Amino acid sequence: MSVLRELSERLQRGQAKEVEALVQQALDEGETPQRILEDGLMQGMGVIGERFKANEVFVPEVLIAARAMHAGIAVLEPHLVSAGVKARGKVVLGTVKGDLHDIGKNLVRMMMEAKGLAVIDLGVDVSAERFVRAATEHDADIVACSALLTTTMTEMRHVVEAAQAQGLRGRVCIMVGGAPVTDAFREAIGADLYAPDASSAADAALAHCAGRAS
Amino acid sequence: MNGLERYLGTVAGRAVDDLARTPILMQFAAEFSGSDYGRFAADHCVLVEANVRCAEVFGIDQLSCISDPYRETHGFGGAVTFVADGPPRSTQPLADTKDLDTLAVPDPMGSARMLDRVRAVERYARDHAGTYSLLGWVEGPAAQAANLRGVITFMFDLMDDPEYAGALMDVCVETGIAFARAQVAAGADTIGIGDAIASQIDPRTYEALIQPREKRLVQAVRASGAFAKLHICGNITHLLPGIADLGVDIVDVDHMVDLAAVRAAVGERVVITGNLDPVSVVRNGTPASIASGVLDAYERAGNPYMVNAGCEIPAGTPAENLAALCRPLPYRA
Ligand code: B12
Repeated sequence: MSVLRELSERLQRGQAKEVEALVQQALDEGETPQRILEDGLMQGMGVIGERFKANEVFVPEVLIAARAMHAGIAVLEPHLVSAGVKARGKVVLGTVKGDLHDIGKNLVRMMMEAKGLAVIDLGVDVSAERFVRAATEHDADIVACSALLTTTMTEMRHVVEAAQAQGLRGRVCIMVGGAPVTDAFREAIGADLYAPDASSAADAALAHCAGRAS
Repeated sequence: MNGLERYLGTVAGRAVDDLARTPILMQFAAEFSGSDYGRFAADHCVLVEANVRCAEVFGIDQLSCISDPYRETHGFGGAVTFVADGPPRSTQPLADTKDLDTLAVPDPMGSARMLDRVRAVERYARDHAGTYSLLGWVEGPAAQAANLRGVITFMFDLMDDPEYAGALMDVCVETGIAFARAQVAAGADTIGIGDAIASQIDPRTYEALIQPREKRLVQAVRASGAFAKLHICGNITHLLPGIADLGVDIVDVDHMVDLAAVRAAVGERVVITGNLDPVSVVRNGTPASIASGVLDAYERAGNPYMVNAGCEIPAGTPAENLAALCRPLPYRA
């Protein structure tokens, strides 16, 4: 089995130690950091994301896979930096005010990181003002809001309004998601992007950032 | 038949006049009775008054003590703060340490928030015994372990250190049993076990670590003379074989699960309740769509069955929608 293939499979099983060792081995064998990242680590995490969507794996398995990915990236990081590989975009992410559900939000973060995006995670119970402040501070491409409650998804409207008030609307894309959120709701509140699950969220975010860069 | 007779008849598998109705009320009941969720969770007098009023107005057959997930957590040493229009917030006593010895030992009759729930049962029993079923409530082993460690941390525990996760859940089960017994002694005829987080766990981990502990809790509840009811919000299709083996009397089913599949798994003895979508059907639907939703659910579940949404009736549900959910529907043999 090729080292990248094995890397992907170990990652899918959440074996962080093995992933670390395999990243080092791949480097020693002369693979480029870019290929190790994309065809090994991100590829494996992509498979996990799809299998999660299909109910074949569950949250704990995604968590340990993401941890293994991070372990691999830590080994790779200095090589990526010297090879000039940069984050593909910057996302400020959080669960909206009044809402404490964060499992879905965390999965979104992991899948976005697995696509090479830098994520600033503000945690749960995040006010519209905090989202907007962080977006300005970090010069983010995307503000991504998660909500699991019908009573709190309306907070997303406040995020759109606060971004507007700060004159950020042209610069920052506002992405919304969480079980009760729909594309129709996104449209009604004037947000820019919606995705039904974590893998699609990462794809959409990446597509947005790529569109911007070109 | 009064509410209690209808409820007991259904659990016993007997014919009843109308289907029993057991919707889960928290924030809705608080606001409907002119109070707020913060006071509902903080004070059993508010909780009791709100639930009794809803039972009388809507024709509900059970009075419940459910309020939020942090009764036991407070007993274990969590700091709980109340919020007017949401469930309380709590710290996680084991967020930064795995040391079980740092936990306070919860005493159902000594810890303020646990005692407050026991007082709710006592008050129901004093004023309404014999009229309504009285539902006590405890956290299931996985839910309580997640309350103590934080959800994500506990999920890592399950994968990395199953022995620890098991020991932690054992502590939670002991507390659950003591808390259940105190509520049964106060007059509860049924103890609900809420184990929401289990729906997010893979079947193997559930079978190996969580199910046996849920089962121990169920057995203790039943040995204390009460019925055991399991409530896991979310999709439990992948857990059905384990759930069928728990020996519960009643199982609540959320909207993403097929009731016919649940019936096939649990057999003819267990009462199924559910499973209208709380938001899209009960809160945002019409009385007509709710009425047909109930008929569909009954059709798929078959007897024994009780009317319920998949989970809590959401805040902001129009009163006429809850009325439609609770409109008497004849039992069919
Ligand atoms: C676990 C859980 C809890 C845990 C939360 C633990 C935690 N740290 O997250 C606890 C027990 C604390 C809890 C509490 C409550 N909960 Co709750 N909970 C759930 C449950 C069972 C699972 C939610 C979950 O994690 N799903 C798994 C994740 C992976 O899915 P997800 O979050 O939808 O995320 C996916 C997508 O939506 C998307 N996504 C998520 N975020 C984002 C963001 C962006 C930008 C994008 C693009 C995509 C995206 O990607 C994710 C992965 O694919 C659901 C039932 C269900 N739906 O399964 C109820 C549920 C969400 N809870 C509900 C309720 C009512 C509550 C409480 C109010 C109950 C109470 N009265 O105490 C409290 C509220 C606390 C608060 N203030 O937030 C209701 C919400 C109803 C509604 N729509 O209003 C639900 C739906 C149960 C039900 N059927 O009624 N809950």
